[in-house]
Amino acid sequence: MTLLPALSWWMWGVMAAVPIGIVLLYLLKLRRQPITVPSTFLWAKTVEDLHVNSLLQRLRSSPLLFLQLLAIALATAALLRPGYRDATQTDTKRVLLLDASASMSATDGDDGLTRFERAKRLISKQIDSMTDRDIAMLMTFSDRADVLQAFTSDRRKLREALAKSTATNRTSDITQALRAADGLAAGKSSGSDDDKEQPTVAPVAKTDLVVYSDGAFGESTNFDTSQLNVRYERMGTNVTKNLAVLSLSVERSERDPSKVEVFSTIGNLGTEPAESPVTLRLGDELIDASNVSLPPGDSIGLTFEIDESPLMRFQLVIDNKDDLGIDNVAFAALRPKRSRSVLLVTPGNDPLEIALMTGQAEKIADLQVVDPAYMETLPYAKRVAAVTDQLIIFDRCAPKTMPMTNTFFIGALPPKAWVAGKMERPVLLVDIDRSHPVMRYLDLFSILVAEGRPLVPPEGAIDLLTAEQGPVMAIAPREGFEDLVLGFDILSLSGDGKLSFNTDWHVQRSWPVFIYNAVRYLTGSLSDDGNLTFRPGSTIAIDEKKLNTALTMVTPDGTNVSLPSDAAGRIDIPAADRVGIYEIQQSGTVVDAFSVNLFDRIESTIASVEKVTIGDQPVMESKSRVNGRSEFWRMILIAMLAVLAIEWWYYGHRLMA
Amino acid sequence: MIATDTSELLPPSLMAKLERMEIASRKVFRGRMKGERRSTRKGQSVEFADFRGYVPGDDLRMIDWNLYARLDQLFLKLFQEEEDLHLNILIDTSGSMRFSHPTKLRVASQIAASLGYVGLCRNDRVRVAGLGRSGHRAPVLRGRASTVRMIQYLRTLEDVEAGVESATLADSVKDFLVRDSSPGIVVVITDLMDKTGYEAALRMLIGRRMDVFVVHVLSPEELDPPIRGDLRLVDSEDGDTTEITLNAFVLKRYRETVQSFIDGARQFCSRRAITYFMTRSDLPIETIVTDYLQKRGMIR
Repeated sequence: MTLLPALSWWMWGVMAAVPIGIVLLYLLKLRRQPITVPSTFLWAKTVEDLHVNSLLQRLRSSPLLFLQLLAIALATAALLRPGYRDATQTDTKRVLLLDASASMSATDGDDGLTRFERAKRLISKQIDSMTDRDIAMLMTFSDRADVLQAFTSDRRKLREALAKSTATNRTSDITQALRAADGLAAGKSSGSDDDKEQPTVAPVAKTDLVVYSDGAFGESTNFDTSQLNVRYERMGTNVTKNLAVLSLSVERSERDPSKVEVFSTIGNLGTEPAESPVTLRLGDELIDASNVSLPPGDSIGLTFEIDESPLMRFQLVIDNKDDLGIDNVAFAALRPKRSRSVLLVTPGNDPLEIALMTGQAEKIADLQVVDPAYMETLPYAKRVAAVTDQLIIFDRCAPKTMPMTNTFFIGALPPKAWVAGKMERPVLLVDIDRSHPVMRYLDLFSILVAEGRPLVPPEGAIDLLTAEQGPVMAIAPREGFEDLVLGFDILSLSGDGKLSFNTDWHVQRSWPVFIYNAVRYLTGSLSDDGNLTFRPGSTIAIDEKKLNTALTMVTPDGTNVSLPSDAAGRIDIPAADRVGIYEIQQSGTVVDAFSVNLFDRIESTIASVEKVTIGDQPVMESKSRVNGRSEFWRMILIAMLAVLAIEWWYYGHRLMA
Repeated sequence: MIATDTSELLPPSLMAKLERMEIASRKVFRGRMKGERRSTRKGQSVEFADFRGYVPGDDLRMIDWNLYARLDQLFLKLFQEEEDLHLNILIDTSGSMRFSHPTKLRVASQIAASLGYVGLCRNDRVRVAGLGRSGHRAPVLRGRASTVRMIQYLRTLEDVEAGVESATLADSVKDFLVRDSSPGIVVVITDLMDKTGYEAALRMLIGRRMDVFVVHVLSPEELDPPIRGDLRLVDSEDGDTTEITLNAFVLKRYRETVQSFIDGARQFCSRRAITYFMTRSDLPIETIVTDYLQKRGMIR
């Protein structure tokens, strides 16, 4: 039996004065109603044995006083919060780590609560069981870690922090939270400078790390847990039912430009076979429906084809309810088509110009070809300053300063950051990165290159094409833009001053495909044909170079958010947590849209695991469930109310009976 | 005839009944005037009483000459003297008598008026007096014509302010006896609510060889109080207070105490040949006279 007094010392002082006050009130005369009677002669005889003068006798003869003192005693006992604990723990230091990712919203228990709510209850019990000498801190984690309350022994602060915590729709990454917990447990800064009550933590003492999670955060092996006693409080069950939309994309049909194709993947990530109708809605209109029946672990792709119309907002819904609701719906918005401006600065390059004027390329880009001398003119300066072009291709020439847009250098280098080796010949290609969108569908090993220079790209670059001498094509980021550099010419001046082909690539089928890929990628048209989707909580960057005026974002719940853009026209949207469609408007006109969906297999696989790997050690589910207190104060309070009721009844009965 | 303003104390219908009644005294007293009652004094009535030997100086007319002829001794033939009765009616006018509705004092006055009227009709010597100072003004009455004066006096008793008559029952009786010591009937109409006790007063009356009647008047509020709760009871006579929480238990005890008080008074009286009546103040005077006083033999 332990006590957790709920009042401060001065409150106890007031509490102690209450029974004294009651006794004093009894010692003082009651405010009795005076009534004149013929004679008190017989009354005095009647109450001879009742009407006593001794204070003690008076008190002893008052059951009401006894009942009232008993009620106060019970109230005092309740405020002392007596209770039992399963194991006596003193001076513990505990990090309470609460998983707030999307999978914690699963309602797979019998009580109808989400895993997150059950975890909060467990943490609440844990906080209740703390003594004044225990300290604890509270963190949540999803794809990032949040310290809700730094180390403190103040249970009230911990309870308030716990009450503020909410489940998110985000994915899980426990690593950041583990690092923070480890750092704080070792006595490093908690990051909350205003918390002056943070006690000094002895670095030698081991800290209990209690993870309240369903285990859907993968493995975090790159972490040393030697300073932590890790305990895993498993939330949820391993028998779950969950159909999830794993992907939803919308693309304009290649075959028929008037059509829009919707692709989706539905997976059964529960542990039981599941069946449900799946409906596709365009706005509020039901477009199509399909019935899905899947065994556990299986998935199925669904395709729909619809005539294109303006403002296409799709919603795919799994109609049957299951344990996790957030992945039962997915959103997609077809982005409006936009024309992209491409400036080609070249002394003359027919193969390149021809490739840029193919039917497909013309659909995505308005091409303008200028001579390198144009770079010295005022119109060029204005054009660059106004960010008119989404892509500038420099063929065998380079500007003095880099324009604030994406660039593609052929046989030349950007004026800064890039370095090229000496001219080598021949250039034998040895590797190609086909995973990059620029290099899709390309087979370049058959092309011949007469001469070229290996590139030394700046940090962060991706080598797209590598020859024996080194990378000959690379793409590197630059202040929010990207520069694609090809280390060899297509056309080059020979020694006698005549133009000659440096490669036979331009006669290969891969040439127009590559140019199309490069233009499509670097102009940002890649996503124009379909939809943009992000995960909840991810930082979203949208390139809106042509939109110089103020933009507004309309969130799924209808809130308008004004979007500041940087000088280059890029817009960073800090965190879109809510799933749904976000529209970007300019003066009331929708200029772009994107959607936020969970689309995460790990989060949708909601069967909680018995063993998680935290740091270098596997951690089993904690079986000693709650180290909590069984408190009696509620029962004592009920008893006090009963005593008050008896006291009231007795008082009334004594008068009226 | 009696003036109409006497009707509140003495209803005409009751007066008609009372005219045919007389006070039933168990003792025979010597009066001062010839009346309608036998006296211990041998006198000139027609009713033979006794013989006694002649002593010089006796009235020779009273010698029984027939007996002298037979026995050759002089004997006097004695006859019963018919004399009037001294009827004293003492009314407790203390503060406690001024409670209830009608007040106990009003009921006591009605009883006194009734008894007094009986006495006046029989030509008895009637003295209706309040106990205490108001008793000093009490007139001695005789004859039916004095009824108005009796009623007027009784009215003045009610007009005396409560608290003026603060003497105890014993002191008041003593005061009465000092002023009027002639033996006779004494009717004490009181509630016996005297913290010093009523016993001393009654003993004094018995000591004067009076035929004592006690009419004990209690109000219904005293017999069954209608009050409840946490109360401070204030004595109307001396201002003494008693704090009490009145509940069913205490009330039950009170009723037992009242009954014990009544029983105690009755027992005290019966042991000392005092005639005791207890009556409620909420009863009509006709009922009190017919059902209590007449049936129990005080008047006949």
